[in-house]
Amino acid sequence: MTSFKPRPNQAQVLAYRRGRMGVSAVPGAGKTRTLSALAAQIVSSSAIGEGQEVLIVTMVNSAVDHFARQIGAFIRERGLLPRIGYRVRTLHGLCSDIVRERPALVGLGEAFTILDEREADKALAQSAQAHLQSHPDFIDRYLDAELGPTQIERLVQNGTVSAAVVDLARDFIRTAKDRRLAPEQIALGLAASDQELPLAALCLPIYAGYQRSLTLAGAVDFQDLIRLAYEALERDPDYLARLRRRWPFILEDEAQDSSRLQEDILRLLLGPDGNWVRVGDPNQAIYESFTSARPEFLRDFLREPGVQPVDLPDSGRSAAKIIDLANFLIDWSIADHPSDAVRQRQPLQPPHIRPVGPNDPQPNPPDDQARLVIHNERLTPDEELELVADSLAKWLPDHPDATVAVLAATNHHGSKMVDALRKRDIEFVEKLRSTTATRLTAGALTHLLRYLAQPDHPPLLARAYEVWRRLDRDDEEASERLKRVLAVLRTIERTETFSHPGPDGDWLDTPPVRVLIEADPIIAEHLDAFRAYVRKWQAAVVLPVDQLLLVLAQDMFSDPADLAIAHSMAVALRGISQNNPGYRLADYAQELQDIAANERKFLNIDADARDFDPSQHPGKPIIMTLHAAKGLEFDRVYLLACNTYDFPSGIPGDQYTPEKWFVRGRLNLSAETLAQLNAAVDPGQVYQEGAATLAARDEFVGERLRLLYVGITRARRELIITWNSGRRGDLTASLPFQALRAHVETKEKGR
Amino acid sequence: MELTDSQRAIRDFPASGSLFVEGPAGAGKTTAAALRLLTLIEAGVSGAEVLIMAPHRGALLPYQRALRSSGYAGPTPAAFTIGSLARQMCAQFFPLAAAEMGFAAPEEVPVFLTLETAQYVMARLVDPLAFAAAGGVRVDRQRIYSQILDNLNKAALVGFPHTEIAERLKAAALDASAHPAYEQAGYFADAFRAYCLEHNLLDFSLQLETFRRLWTQTAPRRWVLERARHVFVDHVEEDAPSAHAVIRDLVAAAQSALLICDSEGGYRRFLGADPASADHLRATCDQAITVSGSFVMSPAIAGLAEALGAALGGLDESASDRDADALRGALDFPDHTYFPQMLDWTADSIAALVAEGVAPGAIAVLAPFMSDSLRFSLLQRLQARGIPARSHRPSRSLREEPAVECLLTWAQIAHPEWTLIPPGIDALAYALMLSLGGVSGDDLDLVRARLLARAAYPADDQPARLRPFETLPPDVRERVSYTLGQRYDVLRLWLEEYIAGNNRAVAPAEPPPAPKKGRKRGKQAAVTPLVSAPPQRAELDHFFSLIFGEVLSRRGFGFHHDFIAADAAANLVDSARGFRQTMAGRAVFESNLDGKTLAEEYVEMVRGGVIANQYLRADGEIVPDAVLLAPAYTFLNNNVPVTAQFWLDIGSRGWFERLYQPLTHPYVLSANWPGDRAWTDDEEDASRRETLRNLIYGLLRRCRSRVYLGYSQLSESGNENAGELLAAIYRTLRRLYAEPGVEDDVV
Repeated sequence: MTSFKPRPNQAQVLAYRRGRMGVSAVPGAGKTRTLSALAAQIVSSSAIGEGQEVLIVTMVNSAVDHFARQIGAFIRERGLLPRIGYRVRTLHGLCSDIVRERPALVGLGEAFTILDEREADKALAQSAQAHLQSHPDFIDRYLDAELGPTQIERLVQNGTVSAAVVDLARDFIRTAKDRRLAPEQIALGLAASDQELPLAALCLPIYAGYQRSLTLAGAVDFQDLIRLAYEALERDPDYLARLRRRWPFILEDEAQDSSRLQEDILRLLLGPDGNWVRVGDPNQAIYESFTSARPEFLRDFLREPGVQPVDLPDSGRSAAKIIDLANFLIDWSIADHPSDAVRQRQPLQPPHIRPVGPNDPQPNPPDDQARLVIHNERLTPDEELELVADSLAKWLPDHPDATVAVLAATNHHGSKMVDALRKRDIEFVEKLRSTTATRLTAGALTHLLRYLAQPDHPPLLARAYEVWRRLDRDDEEASERLKRVLAVLRTIERTETFSHPGPDGDWLDTPPVRVLIEADPIIAEHLDAFRAYVRKWQAAVVLPVDQLLLVLAQDMFSDPADLAIAHSMAVALRGISQNNPGYRLADYAQELQDIAANERKFLNIDADARDFDPSQHPGKPIIMTLHAAKGLEFDRVYLLACNTYDFPSGIPGDQYTPEKWFVRGRLNLSAETLAQLNAAVDPGQVYQEGAATLAARDEFVGERLRLLYVGITRARRELIITWNSGRRGDLTASLPFQALRAHVETKEKGR
Repeated sequence: MELTDSQRAIRDFPASGSLFVEGPAGAGKTTAAALRLLTLIEAGVSGAEVLIMAPHRGALLPYQRALRSSGYAGPTPAAFTIGSLARQMCAQFFPLAAAEMGFAAPEEVPVFLTLETAQYVMARLVDPLAFAAAGGVRVDRQRIYSQILDNLNKAALVGFPHTEIAERLKAAALDASAHPAYEQAGYFADAFRAYCLEHNLLDFSLQLETFRRLWTQTAPRRWVLERARHVFVDHVEEDAPSAHAVIRDLVAAAQSALLICDSEGGYRRFLGADPASADHLRATCDQAITVSGSFVMSPAIAGLAEALGAALGGLDESASDRDADALRGALDFPDHTYFPQMLDWTADSIAALVAEGVAPGAIAVLAPFMSDSLRFSLLQRLQARGIPARSHRPSRSLREEPAVECLLTWAQIAHPEWTLIPPGIDALAYALMLSLGGVSGDDLDLVRARLLARAAYPADDQPARLRPFETLPPDVRERVSYTLGQRYDVLRLWLEEYIAGNNRAVAPAEPPPAPKKGRKRGKQAAVTPLVSAPPQRAELDHFFSLIFGEVLSRRGFGFHHDFIAADAAANLVDSARGFRQTMAGRAVFESNLDGKTLAEEYVEMVRGGVIANQYLRADGEIVPDAVLLAPAYTFLNNNVPVTAQFWLDIGSRGWFERLYQPLTHPYVLSANWPGDRAWTDDEEDASRRETLRNLIYGLLRRCRSRVYLGYSQLSESGNENAGELLAAIYRTLRRLYAEPGVEDDVV
């Protein structure tokens, strides 16, 4: 894992001693290893004294684990004790550390709750509902004039209107918190403004109501955590000074996804002379639509005086053909994109990706084995899925050791792909909706709680056993054994004769079990061990439900992500139990089941909680979204739905997901709301209806181009891109798709 | 017993004059002081002339034990905490100060509120919505109550008017966002105080303030001073300035006084402890001596204390002049990846110690917090290895103990006339498990308990009564077993007799309840009731006491060997009695019951999560020879050394952090804090470091020979923790294990 031999450009990063450095790394440039090596180097140098740490800030939890492991390995290699001298955190984790160290600074007790997304959404919906009830006609002014009364009635009845308002309020609150604007400040701005800002006026009371409900619950949401961390640092200069002493070096990964608040916090922590290394790839900034992240922050940083810029353009990930295609997309977007606005904004920029030399320890896959397919046939969405399923069915048997991913633009599209594969009995790995880990963990715990709620029910006992032996499913022999045990367990007449056999006999001594054990003695060991756990779990039912869950989790999981999720669930169940004193185990099981069934979002430790490694799943297609695939690589990649809806180009006829069909003039209400918020609090900002919608289109087009770039650069050897004509059949192949196809054809002809 | 020179000086200090003794824990100060007490008694001093004071009742026990074991049969010395002294004075002299204090009925007997009943009153007055509207602070309902009370108590303990609380907190805050919440807290503190004055209620803060006024008057003062010719005060560092003021007066008036101060103490700062104020008492004494050394720590543990203290920024030290091998020998510090592995190692190591001959009672397992799941997981492991364990976790909700929930369930069954929603099958099954099966659940498992509960407790019977075992379906009886059925019937019959007794007491004219359908009285008689029915309606605390003493603690029943359940039951009895004694017969409370009985109100209060009083069992109780599982600070306050300590989860930041309570502040509301200054990070950091250092010293000074450091890379919640204690331990290890010359290369 270690014995890292840096490439010349990586060595340039490792030559860093102090000051500010900005690193632009192309996909596959080895930035994590380089940054980990740099962290280890600083930790073991005299630059870090006793009590000091190198702070590494990254985007997602999986990266935290990854970094921590790599740095630990590098540090061990240097003969030092790991875990001391560095701290790896996501921004949320860092802010949680900052707030938890001095909660009283920002009015919190030691036991404050961080509201999960589900509860936060509930509070938001309640606040929105309360406001809408007193202003039921508000939305009328924004509805398309063509809509008839029945259509409008239907929109209201089926919740479309209230859902839209909740979405607006969510964006409004997110931006307000990112700008550290309290409801009172916005109210002052609105009162002082002579402009008409109805959307901001709509969202403000919802924001205020939402904050009140958080305060009542003694809770904060994830956004608050960041804002409060900033406030804590601002309020107590001594605390800030101490943290500056503690963290003399800050290394930031995925800096292209940095938000204004993240920048502000890190700059505050660094002070004027702090040592800061920021690594990122502005071409892979794909979170603008969901968060307040902006790649411009990194770009601006790279241009700041005193910042040493370094490029890491060398990448051994993909075959030359694929690299060429990605580089072409950069050039095309700069020179030939039909939209002036997009060309000016330059959503994709150099450096180009450069293949490494043949002597590199991680050389590019040979180009002669690489394959590019830009499938230009007009297909319906179903036909597209069939095509990919067909292709996989043919390819998989010959490539049992290769990794392959089907990357969809949305979860919904991904789930259709899952259905298509299921129909053909193709085994796959689903990584959709970013809550797989949560679902599996919640699912396992749900089954145990359900069993404990009805411990005399044999199928539930069998299910608990199945969950306990869940890893057996990955092994053919073990899986068969599991099935045999389950079949017998389900027929047990009295479950206590297994869990707590009395003088009337032990179920393990009954003929069907004896037959089973004689044929396969290891079953006896499994059942004995399971019995010990069952006895312990039964005894634990008298504990408060959160504590019971922790006991179960410790016996069931060893994966840190599972433990973290279980712990968060325990905290959530504790909250639920306080609000519902009459709840029984069966009710808690139902709560967990809801989470497991993915009916509710749960916390932020979802998508990325598990350090997903595609190489653990060779020969099985991995279904995920383009967003979730960032940071991963696969031998073969399918990119779906490259049409004018999922990848618009800013030309007439393109459609944009944030623009709702029932809104007049196809206004992007979310963008308009934020523009109104800005106009309310920034004197001099003039709000002009529609301008924000147009600007948001350009941003969206740029982000989609980067998403396509990310998709292309996931492929090591083979890349297949397709498009479909949409549900109504009115979509065409996107412009970048067509440009890529033309480029490939030209290249082919040239050969 | 061989005494050191210092100890002899303490024991033999003349019977007139005052002595201030300072030294670390384990140096034999209290032992010498208790010997001095015996010396005085032997010299003819009567116990009636002796007054002993300490910050908590546990610290009084060594003196009481010494007297008892000496065979002394004379008058018992007065023994007080500042709280108990204040209470006694208020009980005797209330009218002397009441009018001046503003009580509405100065001539009437006041009502003493406990922490629990004060929360109960506070809950009637405080509007949590007001805090939500104020913003700036986020805290849940129960904590609002307890923190406002805490503020009132601190003001009284330190000796400033409670009306200053909000101003002090505001001045200490670094910005104004929490000011409205502090003002709300101040407003409700005022409201609570006004309510107490109006209804003659004495919460802890009013007891202290009333006592302070009484202390200026001749009669009450004389009452105390007459009993204080010879004064002993232990652990002055754990007391608050208001206690120190009284102690100062006692020293001045007494013929002899001995004051003992633990030089690294001050653990009860959140309860007003003020070591700096304690130190001022030195000047009031004729002489002062400093003792050193330890009767507890082995040389290796003492060395470890120094090394860790140095790593935590305490003493200067150099590793070279210490026997590194010996220090390493006193430490066990394996690396585990997962939390359960750490727990397995803990249980295995304890089993090995016990096998070597170490008494279970000489082992303590300590953690910054002892959660239910941690305690359960440890108990299970220890039980599987046949090792008895007990635990002590104060400042928690009563309801969090399963044994309490179990007793509340039986209380509901025994009071069918209550209007509370009757317990469900699950609750009954759990109560049966604990009552008939015990903590392991091995005797009565969950399946059989549910089976029994469902069959014995039909939902359609109103009021619900437990059915006799013989009347249950045969398959249920067979599955549950006759042995357990007998035990069940003992419990059931006891409950039946109790109900019958209660009904007779309430309405003697009515006949006893008719036998239920299918109930065969002849067979029922086969199981002899253990107790005859109470002659009159029993109070709820009596009920808890009776069911515990007459059924649950008997051999064969669940609480028999369960020290933790026994402790919880005893606390519940005390708590229910306190509630009754406070509330019963007071119109101000009983008029608000909405048709419920006081007992029902109590059950609801416990289920609502009220934070429990600190209960300490009376002297003379035998501490079982069992491994102690406790939060680290609880262990320190218990002040009983052990042979081996296990520090669990040393990566946790809990070791380093104080309890953060947004509406109060232990330092800002202390005597030394200038009322107009902001509390900044420098203060916070310095106080935390000092606290951790003192905690570690305190633990090691109470450890004879070995410390086991429980560490897992991943915490219970899957996070990698690397708190300040772990870092200090690493720094120490680095020094201990470094070859000469290597250290420079490393750092």
